[in-house]
Amino acid sequence: MKRHLKVIAPSPFAGREKILEIRGLGKRFESNGRLLKVLDQVDFTVGEGEFICILGRSGCGKTTLLNILAGFIPPTAGEVLLRGRPVSGPGPDRCVVFQEDALFPWLTVEENIAFGMRGPKQAVKDEVEHFLSLVGLTEFRSYLPREISGGMKQRVALARVLILRPALLLMDEPFAALDAQARQGMQNLLLSLWAKFAHTILFVTHDVGEAVKMADRILLMDGDTGSIREEIPVHLARPREKDSVGFLRLLRHLMERL
Amino acid sequence: MFGRIRRESPFACAQAWVIPGIMASLWFALSQTGAVPQYLLPHPLEVIRAGHSYLLGSPGETPYAGRFYSDLCSSLMRVFLGFTFALAVGIPAGIMSGRIPAVNRLLSNTVNGIRAVPGICWLPLAMVWFGIGMKTTVFLVALAAFFPIYLNTAAGARQVNPLHYRAGAMMGVTRIRGIFAILLPASMPQIITGLRLGLGIAWAYLVLGELTGVPDGLGAVIMDARMLGRIDMIVVGIVLIAGIGRVSDLLLYHAMRLLFRSARRTA
Repeated sequence: MKRHLKVIAPSPFAGREKILEIRGLGKRFESNGRLLKVLDQVDFTVGEGEFICILGRSGCGKTTLLNILAGFIPPTAGEVLLRGRPVSGPGPDRCVVFQEDALFPWLTVEENIAFGMRGPKQAVKDEVEHFLSLVGLTEFRSYLPREISGGMKQRVALARVLILRPALLLMDEPFAALDAQARQGMQNLLLSLWAKFAHTILFVTHDVGEAVKMADRILLMDGDTGSIREEIPVHLARPREKDSVGFLRLLRHLMERL
Repeated sequence: MFGRIRRESPFACAQAWVIPGIMASLWFALSQTGAVPQYLLPHPLEVIRAGHSYLLGSPGETPYAGRFYSDLCSSLMRVFLGFTFALAVGIPAGIMSGRIPAVNRLLSNTVNGIRAVPGICWLPLAMVWFGIGMKTTVFLVALAAFFPIYLNTAAGARQVNPLHYRAGAMMGVTRIRGIFAILLPASMPQIITGLRLGLGIAWAYLVLGELTGVPDGLGAVIMDARMLGRIDMIVVGIVLIAGIGRVSDLLLYHAMRLLFRSARRTA
């Protein structure tokens, strides 16, 4: 039996502490004198330890939403509360795994993982060691990013933020650029790490199968209105079988709605 | 598999000497057949003899005998001082102008205007300001070396991947630490290019500064030899400056690689 087998909860949110609250969030961009409404009236709440997938077509504002949550850009309306406190600016309590390669090319794998760490040298070294083995890169510790594969790079990107124990892990289509096999490996790795650390994860994707496989709850984004069209709790037992009836039924439902 | 260790084969090393070798052979052949008269281009053996005496002769033997080391020291000192000034101003100014649009707007007219003025135009003014010798030469060297350092550093700082800043910010890197942890390492390839170009032009302006009648230095020797009609010594001076310029470029490149891991890994 896999470690990350979880009991089916009647509602994934039930009994969880509220960690993230998003109220009336809006974002407009002005370009060439035209007003572009990307997000409008986005409201949702995330519970401690929940795995949320934000699903939507490309260009529907998913990344903008994530950038606001990370504090990279300010919203034009509404607010983001993390444990009751408003978010302003980026910080190590909300870490991002980017879609593209964002590792520092002049640092080795282990130096990249240690980048955000502070504290006594030995403690940092032990932590880095631990996370290197968690993502299976111990042998590649002294390699530079340009010398490893795309999948390995995303494992480094994951390790360098997990090591900071963020309250919220934001992931922006992190596996979209990988081949099918590497993507599946990364999904399983993420799920097992999630089972171990019980992070709260906000995972942006346009891949319906990925959302059904990973999420406790799926938020369906609507590109036309820039808001969340539907919230779908996923009551499937983990690990999820890709050809089970429940999986396929949910997949079909989401395909129709997307 | 990953090209970690890259040793060049002896054949590849020899390639670097193909063109100098051809030039030397051509020179030798032209002189040997008498196709080029001695007063235009002296025979290589003449030049080697003059160079030998300049480098290794005892002082007083001939006009230039044994002067090399004192000339070299004076010239190196001037290049070193001028280049250090250029670097100390050029890198911080480049970083600021690359990152802060207001600084860029503030500096762009002035820098690019002054850059368009040929160095030789500064010579009379520098001589009036600083007199003949050390200060004038250092001023010219610093002025000339500043522009490539500044411009390349600014270009490097401007092109830093914004994703790296975001990554740094989310991992709790402050602005000041970000300069040393992200900005400088990310701009390192361009900074090194700027420094190498700057050092190259520093040697050119050294000679210009030393042509004004200073008693010592490699440029002074060339000027002096011209007055005395010693073409062989002019060629010795040219070959020496070429050699020293190349060696100083290699030293700079390897010193940067030794000092900064970002230089080692990305430049």
